[in-house]
Amino acid sequence: MSLTLFYFLGIAAIYILMSWAIYIPYRMGQLHFMTVANMAISAYFAAVATLSWGWPFWLVLIAGTLLGALIGWIASFAIGDAPCFAVVIVGFTLIYLTKTIIENTEALGGPLGIFSIPKIIEGTSAANRHVILIIVYLLVLLVGYLIYRMDHSRLGRAASSIFIDRELATTFGVNVKKMGMFLQTFGSAIGGMSGVMYLFIMRAISPNHFTFHLIGVCMTMLFVGGYTTQWGVLIAAPLLWGIPLILPESVQSWKIVIYGVLLISVLVVKPEGFITRPFLSKISHRIQKILFKKVEDKI
Amino acid sequence: MKKISLVLVLLLSFSLCLWAGGEKEAGAATGGVVVDAWEIPFLNVLTGPIASIGEYLQWGAERAAQEINAAGGIAGKPVKVLRIDTGMSPEQGTVEMSKLVNSALVVMGPVPEPVIMAAVPIAADEGLYSFTATTSFEYAEPYFPWAVSWFAPTDERLPAIVTAWSDRVGAKKVVQFVENYGPWPGMARAHAIGLKDAGAQVLSDVEVPQDAITFGPLVVKALEQKPDAIIFACNAEKTAKIIMELKNRGWTDMAKLLVFSSADDAALYTTGGDKINGVMIYNYSDPDLNTPRWNAFRQAFKDDHNGIEPFSLSPNYYDAVYMIKRAIEETGVTGDRKKLAAERILIRDYVNEIQNFEGLQYNWSNAGGYPKDKPLFLFRIEGGKKVLEAKIIPD
Repeated sequence: MSLTLFYFLGIAAIYILMSWAIYIPYRMGQLHFMTVANMAISAYFAAVATLSWGWPFWLVLIAGTLLGALIGWIASFAIGDAPCFAVVIVGFTLIYLTKTIIENTEALGGPLGIFSIPKIIEGTSAANRHVILIIVYLLVLLVGYLIYRMDHSRLGRAASSIFIDRELATTFGVNVKKMGMFLQTFGSAIGGMSGVMYLFIMRAISPNHFTFHLIGVCMTMLFVGGYTTQWGVLIAAPLLWGIPLILPESVQSWKIVIYGVLLISVLVVKPEGFITRPFLSKISHRIQKILFKKVEDKI
Repeated sequence: MKKISLVLVLLLSFSLCLWAGGEKEAGAATGGVVVDAWEIPFLNVLTGPIASIGEYLQWGAERAAQEINAAGGIAGKPVKVLRIDTGMSPEQGTVEMSKLVNSALVVMGPVPEPVIMAAVPIAADEGLYSFTATTSFEYAEPYFPWAVSWFAPTDERLPAIVTAWSDRVGAKKVVQFVENYGPWPGMARAHAIGLKDAGAQVLSDVEVPQDAITFGPLVVKALEQKPDAIIFACNAEKTAKIIMELKNRGWTDMAKLLVFSSADDAALYTTGGDKINGVMIYNYSDPDLNTPRWNAFRQAFKDDHNGIEPFSLSPNYYDAVYMIKRAIEETGVTGDRKKLAAERILIRDYVNEIQNFEGLQYNWSNAGGYPKDKPLFLFRIEGGKKVLEAKIIPD
């Protein structure tokens, strides 16, 4: 596998995970940008644990994910049932605080960051890349499965009811705070996991990696892909991340214009994004129809 | 259904394009130069918040290529600088760098630091030499010998210029305004070394937040320490605003204000106007140098940029292209893809130890991947221009 393909696929997986980390709390209408701070904290934690304490990759991955979950859970006591705007402000604040603390901490490399993260396996760089790619896509499958199970359970339906009308959801017996705490903790855990994987893909880290720009990118992927289901980001992340990479040199300067026009066009034609629930049920009906017709023909 | 098919086809096409891009194989050739043209990729930032700086750097590199081609090219073959935009994104930088590791002889860039941090490790891992010509030594050094630094270690090069300034103006108690961005805190620490060498007392730094809008409280915090001189290690606009605030609060001895090199850009002069007259500033190039080569460069830059003077980093990638030319010609590199790894090492070793390189502004020599004898210049600002006060070559 070429190095280019590795980075394309690896970073696409990170974008998928991060967009899902934002998607999960948004199921009940909260834009939980704290996930970017979780990503940064867990990535730095992983760097220190690997370089200074000599922890193995698996331990770092599990600990980084749990650290993300722990921070998300603690914060959720305060903002579990907070309105969207308050959750956004808390997210921005935590990103800013995290960045400032990292930049001012010598042990974390300050503004320079941390270099020379080791490979996760002994052997060639190519073998290391293969293993990382397999792990990150297994994680995408795992997280995707968990989100699918959640979306199709009582939890998912409760989250949808909160998204539509909080008051009404409460009358149905939905505990808005507990639901918010659960979704925020889940999102933060994925943010932490993404941070650890991002570190081992890039093998260097600096506070400049975790900016508001990352929120913008993940939001775009979520909203263009479709924010009402988990499937949209699976298409939007590789597409939106890949388009700027394949534009020829002659149109490099127009890249942002092309990108912008593309986004506006998609949002005008499909305001809820590419993949919506009606779209999914339409496909599902068609598949059923085709299958049903085949069975009927056989009979 | 058609839309899903379309999306799947697009995804497949991207993957195939990227796969194919990474697996190109070299053509067979032996002896002498085998390429029709030398292609030098430049990982630059051509879109986004610092695109204007990227454009100035690109302009310098392309001007060097034009001059070289007009004079017969590199070893008789024309040179082309490839424009590669990373959009200041570390992720995009890694992918763009990964596209080059199997084919490029050398790479210029990346720019700026976040992209260097992400992309240069890939090049170093794969044995591709990077010309990181705009960043400080500390960002390039972890990747030696696969990266070259355009500057000596911060602690080696900056103290001398600060000592010279301090001696000149008679600074006794100095406070620094420091913004916590990239190499700037490290530069502030080097300033402090220079002050101590001059026998001046170094007071507590005043941290300038990156999102600072008002500067009154910061100035009060600095003046409370009763300094008789001040050094600025924050961005150009903030530096200008702090100086204006100082003047409003009665500061008169402008020569006792020293601005560091990274704040030497247009925003300092447009924001500060006449209020920064008399302020001292240090940098790595002398805009009023009077040599035919520099004059031609300067005039061409002004012609292409509505009369704007070249900024201090403008010569860096101009010089980088000439350095690559000299390395190729002196080492007998052929461009043969079969010899790619060996020829990369030839260029690397030559550049890391290059002697008496004729740069646009001055000659210098490298040892161990960084320059040992580059000068720094101390200027006084008058009417939006810099007037040379001293030229210092650090020991």
